[in-house]
Amino acid sequence: MGASISKMMNKIFGSKEMRLLMLGLDAAGKTTILYKLKLDQDVTTIPTVGFNVETVTYKNTKFNVWDVGGQDKIRPLWRHYFSGMLGVHDSVLSTGRQASARTQGLIFVIDSNDRDRIDEARTELARIIQDREMKDALLLVFANKQDLQGAMRPKEVSDRLQLEKIAKDHVWKVEPSCATTGEGIFEGLAWLSNNVKIPNAK
Amino acid sequence: MEAASARMAARDPYSGFGQAPTSQLQRFILNACDPQNFEPNLALNLEISDLINAKKGSAPREAAVSIVHFVNHRNPNVSLLALNLLDICVKNCGYPFHLQISTKEFLNELVRRFPERPPVHPTRVQNKILELIEEWRQTICMTSRHKEDLGFVRDMHRLLSYKGYMFPEVRQEDAAVLNPSDNLRSAEEMEEEEKEAQSAKLQELIRRGGPQDLQEANKLMKVMAGYDTRNKTDWRAKAAEEVSKIQQKARILEEMLQGYKQGDKITEGDVFEELANALQSAHPKIQKMCEEESEDHEAVAKLFEINDSINRTVERYKLIKKGDIEAANRIPRGTLGTSGAGVTKGADNTLNLIDFGDETTGESNAPSSSEVSAQSASKGNSLEEDLLGLSLGGSSYGQTGGISLGGSNGSVLGLSGISLPQTQPQQPAAPSSSFDLLGGFSSPKPTSQITSPAPSQTSFAQAPIGQAARSTPDPFAALTSPAPRQASPFQFQQSTKPQAPGTADLLGGTVAPRPSSRLAQNATAAPHDDDDEWTFASSVPDTSKDITVNNTGIKVDFNVSRESDSVLLIKSRISNNTPAPISQLTLQLAVSRAYQLKLEPQSSMSLSPNQQNGITQMIRLNGVQRGQGGNVKMRWKAAYTLGGARKDEMGEIQSLGVP
Repeated sequence: MGASISKMMNKIFGSKEMRLLMLGLDAAGKTTILYKLKLDQDVTTIPTVGFNVETVTYKNTKFNVWDVGGQDKIRPLWRHYFSGMLGVHDSVLSTGRQASARTQGLIFVIDSNDRDRIDEARTELARIIQDREMKDALLLVFANKQDLQGAMRPKEVSDRLQLEKIAKDHVWKVEPSCATTGEGIFEGLAWLSNNVKIPNAK
Repeated sequence: MEAASARMAARDPYSGFGQAPTSQLQRFILNACDPQNFEPNLALNLEISDLINAKKGSAPREAAVSIVHFVNHRNPNVSLLALNLLDICVKNCGYPFHLQISTKEFLNELVRRFPERPPVHPTRVQNKILELIEEWRQTICMTSRHKEDLGFVRDMHRLLSYKGYMFPEVRQEDAAVLNPSDNLRSAEEMEEEEKEAQSAKLQELIRRGGPQDLQEANKLMKVMAGYDTRNKTDWRAKAAEEVSKIQQKARILEEMLQGYKQGDKITEGDVFEELANALQSAHPKIQKMCEEESEDHEAVAKLFEINDSINRTVERYKLIKKGDIEAANRIPRGTLGTSGAGVTKGADNTLNLIDFGDETTGESNAPSSSEVSAQSASKGNSLEEDLLGLSLGGSSYGQTGGISLGGSNGSVLGLSGISLPQTQPQQPAAPSSSFDLLGGFSSPKPTSQITSPAPSQTSFAQAPIGQAARSTPDPFAALTSPAPRQASPFQFQQSTKPQAPGTADLLGGTVAPRPSSRLAQNATAAPHDDDDEWTFASSVPDTSKDITVNNTGIKVDFNVSRESDSVLLIKSRISNNTPAPISQLTLQLAVSRAYQLKLEPQSSMSLSPNQQNGITQMIRLNGVQRGQGGNVKMRWKAAYTLGGARKDEMGEIQSLGVP
């Protein structure tokens, strides 16, 4: 009941909620981005074995960001995160009415300085967005680590990832970012927030 | 959109067939619950369960939510159709679906239309729901491997009983399909099953999203990704265990057939048939396992032999069933582990699945030398101690220790259930007695795993020499189990059947160049026990000592004396302390790995009331150097029948009391 009232309030005041899944190869900077968003701090991270989830509110939108480890052993487990409830704890046990809620946005993080593994990244990305559960998701690619000398620019990243081809059924954008300074990150979220389909039966 | 429509649908339970279902699954469910069906459409229901199994992921949840929505439909026919479909899904979709029906939300939805107080005449729908809950409680909540995840079903059952609802009787035969099957499964199949269960659980935990769920999901991910191997199951060992169960069945059937006399009737559905069916169904599985294990020639050879013996037994069964006892008797008698011709393997008349000979010694050194090196460095022990340590010390996972049952009834048993206490090897005479003895030795705590490197510690090492060094890290090769709870590193000898030929020194017969010498104590490198180089022997006078091992219903006395420089002789005497006769008494012993135990047959297996020293047995302990007698720790277990009840007693002998 409480959940439905707050949903109604959200509808009236125009705030929305988005479930975002953040994936990418290991050491791309996913966890750093997550905690930059959450804490506005540059944290030192260790490789994520498992996942982190945080709720970030930005411009009237509540983002549930799931950051799942990117090591090759964990990648087969990514698919478990494609669907699932909104990640709102209180509404889960009480209603049980949703069959499933898809991830509305995928954030794919690229280490722009790692040219050797860009093909590997492309393969993984293609596998994710071609999954049935992800067919409606927005795709935001963070071309991360832009502060490094010789990092690939967004255009090069989108070319090397062949986004035109593998993401042709998706709305996508490549956003240059630097997780340590926070550059580009909120711009990316704003883009997601603006492009999410609003009549998502709130 | 799909989610939206599902939500819309759920909001109004009385609406129903107005809106278009969006997925194939929902469309199927809608059709299955269409009131135009006069009876459940079994074919469609099964198709739905297949679809759920094929799609996995969120499909089980999607189905459960849709189905329970139709259960609450105002038209009772729709409800009954939905309940029928639910029953089919629970029975065919396995753990992923069980996980869904045991969520609070689902169960609350299921009983949403139940009145607060039970009605005098419950409706058919209510009755059916009660029946399903009762059935689940009696089956999956008790027998599933993951029953701890299904607690809410039990809670709902309790709640309904508390409110006064009466549950209808459940026909056990109908419900039995929900119990795990005891068919033989290969390592790969079991692993696959486990992975699927983990996958379903992870999905569910992420979906629930509560803080605790997420914590658990994180832990589960570590396990699934292979970072957390503490509780990793060794599937090959498990498979070996499964094979041993089949073996057991074969042996029982063989024994029963040998006791079969002209004129006895084999009726439909009796034990004979049950066993034979189990064996026959195991047959293709064993072949499959042979394929899976094709790299491991030893394992394949063993599997083939098991297969052959099972075939023989089944063949005999068929002939006897036909009444052709003549022909049945022409088939070589004996299956693995029972005495008789036909399957005799080597001198010991048993197919020892564990003993793969000594040649593995060298190989086994290699893989774990690194983990041993630390220990050996600290202890300054010899290479040979490393070899012993290799299977015991160091890492928490991946060691094996041989278990072998001496005696006539079957080293084959030794391969069974080392990882799980409830499936410990069982003897035919006492199918209920399990070897907790071994379980007790093998401590589940990683701390106590460092056992053998120094003989002065509680060094539970191997008994028969041939196997002392044969601790390969490969579970199937040895068909033992390097399970997390630490495979029991003991040789186990028993002599349950003294009348059988050649019992006692079967294992001892394999005199191998045992690389066991105690360099830690003795600076001279002595690769053989037999010509031990301990030179101060004569300074210690040989004495004998009496120990009372046990004094309860039965009294077990050991008279320990030194027979030679490396052999201790134990004369065991068992007396009956009760005024009732004792039968089927078996005394089993285990000793630490460094020593080798040889048991001669017991003089008898029964004791008359208050009989003193009615059973005697000679036990030799090889490899105990002079001065070390005090370090020998033994475990014993006695099983016997007293007044019709089977009793097990066990204990530990801290010291043998002689030097």
